[in-house]
Amino acid sequence: MSYNKPMPKPDADSKPFWEGCRNHQLMFQKCTACGHVRWPASILCPKCHSRETQWIQSKGRGTIYTYVVYHQAFDPAFKGDVPYVVAIVELEEGPMLLTNIAGCPHESLECEMRVQVTWEEVSDEISLPKFQLSGA
Amino acid sequence: MRQLLDHAGATEEKVFGHFGATGGYALAARRGMHEFSAGPETWKHIAVGQRKWANLNPAAMMHGKAMTEDDYYRAPMMVEPFRLFDNCLINDGGRAVIVTSAERAEDLKHPPVLLMGMGFHNPSNQISQARYMAGPTGAKEAGRAAFQMAGIEVEDIDACQIYDCFTYTVELTMQDYGFFEYGQGKNWFSGGAIEPGGRLPVNTSGGQLSEAYYMGLTPVSEAVMQLMGRCEDRQLGPKTDTKTPEIILCSDNGGILQSHACYIFRRR
Repeated sequence: MSYNKPMPKPDADSKPFWEGCRNHQLMFQKCTACGHVRWPASILCPKCHSRETQWIQSKGRGTIYTYVVYHQAFDPAFKGDVPYVVAIVELEEGPMLLTNIAGCPHESLECEMRVQVTWEEVSDEISLPKFQLSGA
Repeated sequence: MRQLLDHAGATEEKVFGHFGATGGYALAARRGMHEFSAGPETWKHIAVGQRKWANLNPAAMMHGKAMTEDDYYRAPMMVEPFRLFDNCLINDGGRAVIVTSAERAEDLKHPPVLLMGMGFHNPSNQISQARYMAGPTGAKEAGRAAFQMAGIEVEDIDACQIYDCFTYTVELTMQDYGFFEYGQGKNWFSGGAIEPGGRLPVNTSGGQLSEAYYMGLTPVSEAVMQLMGRCEDRQLGPKTDTKTPEIILCSDNGGILQSHACYIFRRR
């Protein structure tokens, strides 16, 4: 069955992020003026407003800052997934990423658990960065 | 349907199945539970207490529907940690409050209510980058400014009308205003504290959880009506075994805890 969930729509700012995902590399902008690593992608650093930036590769490791369990499918495309977990992961490099925690029962999750990136291929162009418990 | 959902939020959020206000506030509530909140053990007191007010309000959507703690726990999970009755209502309708100068209000037919103080504070970040989801939210600074303008303390407040999009919002907002010590919500809300006959009535129309959702006007219109003495069966004072109110505090917030307003009203 073809993938029928919402797809990312890369724009001028986020294109390098999604191109990185396709290669299973989690890429973020790092401000070369103040060192702040940011997400979502943007033309200016939200800390110091500098335009000077470089893309760096994240190690894909972090902790669960917070998470929820969807017991209802607000979009019918997610009906087969409930209950599923949406989380905010705080990466070691600094950014917070809204994502899914996959491959573990939601009852065993807690905030601050260590997680690592895992990839879900959804099309030839798009891979989604999801997370699983470290060591899982 | 797809077109509608495509416009419902940030693309990067929908991709991961994250939609709407319930999901955003649930993320905040889970972090709140990690840091300080007893979660449903606190929120049940808010949901059940407000329902008791709605049962006294014929205009409330939940007027004829009683709710027990068991009802609260048995209701379906929506976005965990939120059950159904942690969520506000969805409705059509309207509310209006007339604002004018104290001088102009002198010879009007109804007694006016005076605005003593107000404050605003907007942390603004999108929820996935937020560090304020377990507080302090905008309520901290907005409340400080409103109390300072009014020249009063938390102890002077006779009742509260708190923006209650979700139960957790009520707990977090009142904690940030300083009505109880950090992490003490479960104790503070227990024993019918906010209900008819309670020591500090909260959301006396039933609020957005049990009366109707009119954004910031659910709390503001109820505060004004209570101070004017127009609330009939739910009127604060002898009728509901509560103090006749002189001063009522209101809150409003927008986005996912991204903006906050605090208003303090008094009887003339």
